Amino acid sequence: MSEAGYRTLVVERRGPVGWLVFDRPEAGNAMDATMLAELERAWSELDRDPEVRVIVNAANGPNFQTGLDVVQLSRDPEALREQSRRTKRAELRISAWHNDVSTPVIAAVNGACAGGGLHFVADADIVIAAANATFLDPHVSVGQVSAYEAIALTRKVPFEAVMRMALAGRHERVAAARAYQLGVVSEVVDPPEQLHERAQELAETIARNSPAAMAVSKRALWRALELGLTDACREGAKDLVSLWGHPDQTEGPAAFAARREPVWTTKATVPPTATAGLDAAPSARPPEPGGPR
Amino acid sequence: MTQYTCLKIERHGKVGWLINNRPEQLNAMNNTMRDEFADAWLELDRDPAVRVIVHTGEGRAFQTGVDVSEIAGDGVGMERYRDSMENFDVHFTAWHQGVQKPVITAVNGLCAGGAFHWVADADVVIAASDAQFFDPHVSVGQVVAIEAIGLLRKMPFEAVMRMALMGRHERMPAQRAYELGMISEVVDPPERLRERAQELAETIARNSPAAMAASKRALWRALELGLTDACREGAKDLVSMWGHPDQTEGPAAFAAKREPVWADPVADSGSDSAPGPASDSAPGPG
Repeated sequence: MSEAGYRTLVVERRGPVGWLVFDRPEAGNAMDATMLAELERAWSELDRDPEVRVIVNAANGPNFQTGLDVVQLSRDPEALREQSRRTKRAELRISAWHNDVSTPVIAAVNGACAGGGLHFVADADIVIAAANATFLDPHVSVGQVSAYEAIALTRKVPFEAVMRMALAGRHERVAAARAYQLGVVSEVVDPPEQLHERAQELAETIARNSPAAMAVSKRALWRALELGLTDACREGAKDLVSLWGHPDQTEGPAAFAARREPVWTTKATVPPTATAGLDAAPSARPPEPGGPR
Repeated sequence: MTQYTCLKIERHGKVGWLINNRPEQLNAMNNTMRDEFADAWLELDRDPAVRVIVHTGEGRAFQTGVDVSEIAGDGVGMERYRDSMENFDVHFTAWHQGVQKPVITAVNGLCAGGAFHWVADADVVIAASDAQFFDPHVSVGQVVAIEAIGLLRKMPFEAVMRMALMGRHERMPAQRAYELGMISEVVDPPERLRERAQELAETIARNSPAAMAASKRALWRALELGLTDACREGAKDLVSMWGHPDQTEGPAAFAAKREPVWADPVADSGSDSAPGPASDSAPGPG
């Protein structure tokens, strides 16, 4: 089932899995003003849908995502003015992390993932890549600064690899196999044509776990990138305790003991965080929109 | 000296061994074991004859988290841990207990869920080639937080998040844990794990206990702070050793091509200098 009303994305459901697919293949899936606006809507729509247990972020065409549409930027800068403002204020709303998505997100990368496309790698929970995927950050080769995407990556993978990518610009690409070694991705799919099939399979596996427990775990782990170790553990402990008494906590062990598939509550039952962890953190994290949490 | 029922404490030369000893329950942690951990870490850390600590498990599992049968069986459930967990006032790992000596975790067999506490909180981790890592929390409706948070500060994030979200439906082999830097050595055949851990510990035991303690403190604190602050605090650790006898003994022994004779580690030199969780919400000492 495909959602109507998107021009640059395909948004659809396949069983418990919501798909958010970049769909400007003729432009390397570069983000123009329309896509930037649609991304915010699509993340929110899929995250709020109680039937969607896991989200896959993928692409149509030979390349995953090549960042901001520089053609539009040079011909019609006015169209991107609002996004420039958001960039300046660290109020971007293009990735799952920007939009505070609490549903697990798998990025499935094929072909080139360049520049701003790295947002979707850095901000996903799980990343898999087709064997033909390549990663590069051409910002400095066209006189632009690499910041958000690379900063997020340095918190998640070895620093030197990110800095090298930022400095090598368009003159060097990181192959899927190297991205796997570095822990940027956890799986390389070969042949590349099986990428989407494998992403669906992986998503369905994850969809077997408790939505509430996953949402709270996800919140605890991402917050840990904002804080020192002890503070992150302290806040994480509150997350842990927040789910005690939730129906999934008895259903899980009961189903396990009875050797049956558990029946989880819908993801809207995730308890709100009782802490000021995020707000207290010295970060440029955008304020939380009033989401389902 | 405490008598232990769920752990075994052994000393082999300069190496203190802490062995999970509930093999029938795959070394799952019940209340008693939890209390014994708190004592065992301090006992070994305070023993001046012990220079390095090795932590491993008896049987086919290293550890498999909290003893769910105890939780399910006595009507108290997880509530017994509410106060301590809400305040993050826990005492079952070397890091929780501010252990100053080097700690090597030697993972045998299954390492599941809560077992990651002792992977995340060790200084050095090695594993038998048949070790398997997975985190089943979300598959049974539980949240994973503390142990994964410790891990993700030390290795690539995505791998930790993938384990957290895959739950019991996927296992990471020792070889991948090695590639990702979660562990630094895979021991094959697996039966050689303890022998190799002892050997590694004896090698580390040849270094200055005081210098290792200060270095350990500086490196763990770096996980609490931004880069510049971590360097500033680390500089204090560096300077704290100046004038210590090991600082002259080390170069002298090197020049004379003999094994150095280090000063005995000072037992329990005070919480100010101990590694371990920062003492209040303002991270790091002032």
